[in-house]
Amino acid sequence: MKQIALYGKGGIGKSTTAANLSAALAGEGLDILQIGCDPKHDSTRMLMHGTWIPTVLDLIRERGDENITADDVVYGGFRGVRCVEAGGPEPGIGCAGRGIIATFQLLERLDALKGDVIVYDVLGDVVCGGFAMPMREGYAQEVYLVTSGELMSVYAANNIAKAIARLSRRVRSRCTLGGVICNAKNIEGERELVEEFARRINSRLIAYIPRSRVVQVAELQKQTVVEYAPESDQAAVYQELARTIHRNETTSIPTPLEMDELESFALEFVQV
Amino acid sequence: MSSNPSPSNSSRFEGCTLTGALSVLTEVRDAVCIIHGPAGCTHHNFSLLHATLLSNDRLEVPRLLSTRLTENGIIFGGEEALEKTLARALSLSPAPASVFVLSTCIVETIGDDTEAVCAKDRGIPVIAVPTAGFLGGVFETGIRNALSTVASLARPVTETTLSANLVGEKNLEYGVDENAAEIARLLGLLGIGVNLRFVRGIETRDIERLGSAAVNILREPALRPVGEGLERRLGTPYVDSFPAGLAGTCRFLEEVGRICGIDASAAVEEERACQAAMLAGFADIAGSRVRFQSAHPMLRTDPGAVAICTECAEALDLAVVPDGAAIPLPYPAPVGTAGLRRMLHRWRVLIREKKRG
Repeated sequence: MKQIALYGKGGIGKSTTAANLSAALAGEGLDILQIGCDPKHDSTRMLMHGTWIPTVLDLIRERGDENITADDVVYGGFRGVRCVEAGGPEPGIGCAGRGIIATFQLLERLDALKGDVIVYDVLGDVVCGGFAMPMREGYAQEVYLVTSGELMSVYAANNIAKAIARLSRRVRSRCTLGGVICNAKNIEGERELVEEFARRINSRLIAYIPRSRVVQVAELQKQTVVEYAPESDQAAVYQELARTIHRNETTSIPTPLEMDELESFALEFVQV
Repeated sequence: MSSNPSPSNSSRFEGCTLTGALSVLTEVRDAVCIIHGPAGCTHHNFSLLHATLLSNDRLEVPRLLSTRLTENGIIFGGEEALEKTLARALSLSPAPASVFVLSTCIVETIGDDTEAVCAKDRGIPVIAVPTAGFLGGVFETGIRNALSTVASLARPVTETTLSANLVGEKNLEYGVDENAAEIARLLGLLGIGVNLRFVRGIETRDIERLGSAAVNILREPALRPVGEGLERRLGTPYVDSFPAGLAGTCRFLEEVGRICGIDASAAVEEERACQAAMLAGFADIAGSRVRFQSAHPMLRTDPGAVAICTECAEALDLAVVPDGAAIPLPYPAPVGTAGLRRMLHRWRVLIREKKRG
């Protein structure tokens, strides 16, 4: 079983990438479980054709964690991808990070963490220990950073690389960086910038996903691109990404950049 | 963070902020204290308070309620649980005259807005007291926070009487009431009464008259921030400590007299005579050989305590020598002349034991 996690700045396209990745992996005949780890709980929505599935934490809140079965939290979506949403507290109250921990504990107990590939789709930044949960022992062994060429997005990716580096120092840790995925915003020199960033943090650009209108259109149809336009160039990109990740065996311990390094890196690439 | 594990640093100078605050707030007898956090925070403190009350021969049950937060409360926020517990507190019989809501580490970590929940009008004072220990506070901080918070129930001052408040008595220690009685006796020499024991065995309504005293007598100098806060808010000047030592007790009378505009010389005369009579009662140990040592090998020597002991040794003509009877330095310092008398009783026992070998 391969377990991977997608991390990156909020709004960068992690969930779109994750859902299309899962759909494409399922197209290879693999059994896929995708877990959305974000209180917004919209990770798996396109796989579920727009349906908001009940979140693990909603169920825990309503029933207590004793009266929940795997069938209550795992929902079959497009191509049989099994979908789970962790959910979380209402915005502005409680502790979402602890919610992720509770979700994982419950999924463990329900023996729900299985399949050929588990895809963890985690919220914007690793703001606390709870959101680093998917990187911990026994969960994702490979983290993929999703970023565009925008500097704020690169900063966020660098921050997440710090979390990976920190966790990888632990004795039994198996968490490594699988690579960097550039989800393009159509910025000039974007591919080169992300490629160089990946190199400097001791990783590599594993995929370049060009910006495409079909992503938006598919989303309006509440479908992944892989389902909505299977013959499109964009779908082919996701299929290639799926194959690359599935057979990827090259991972690394990242060497995140210091803030001044990041700033001088930015100056090299952005024409002022 | 302290890396010094010695008892002097772990007794009252560290410890839990919440416990410090409860040692004050549970002495408002018609109040209920809600501890917003996991049940264990309440249970632990309940046991400690109950046991301390029992060992001081008070068969009382502290009125504590817990919001009993569990993991779900942490994930989804604990404010709803606090609302429910507040409703429960208000429905208790006898109905509380006030409610204090104390926070714990975990609710401050997840950002529960305890103060906002308390701000709703419920007909009686419902007061939030910040007591999360991890924020760096210690037992002492809890006492200060609690005293300052309770003071918000004081009525604006219209007129003061020739009286004093005892501020911040150490409710968890032995001899609290004996010490208070000694202060009352000393104040009596000046014709000053006790307005309020703030906070010990009082009711919510009593707090209203906090500002009517002419002077606040703080239990110890660590409470200065409280004394200053009360002076700012209510205009009451303060003496920063209960009196300690023979001369110290006379100085205390002079200081209180000066603040209250009373000539203390007659009172000081009277007290000196009282001290002389007290010392005469220990004439049998005059000339004995003693040495002073820390109450515990790991405690640092307290220079204040040494000064008090040296003063008494001189007054009783004791010889302080390395092979004298071992006398532990008192902690806390004995209060007033009565405190010295109790201390000297213990000296006598130790001196006699040493002589018997």
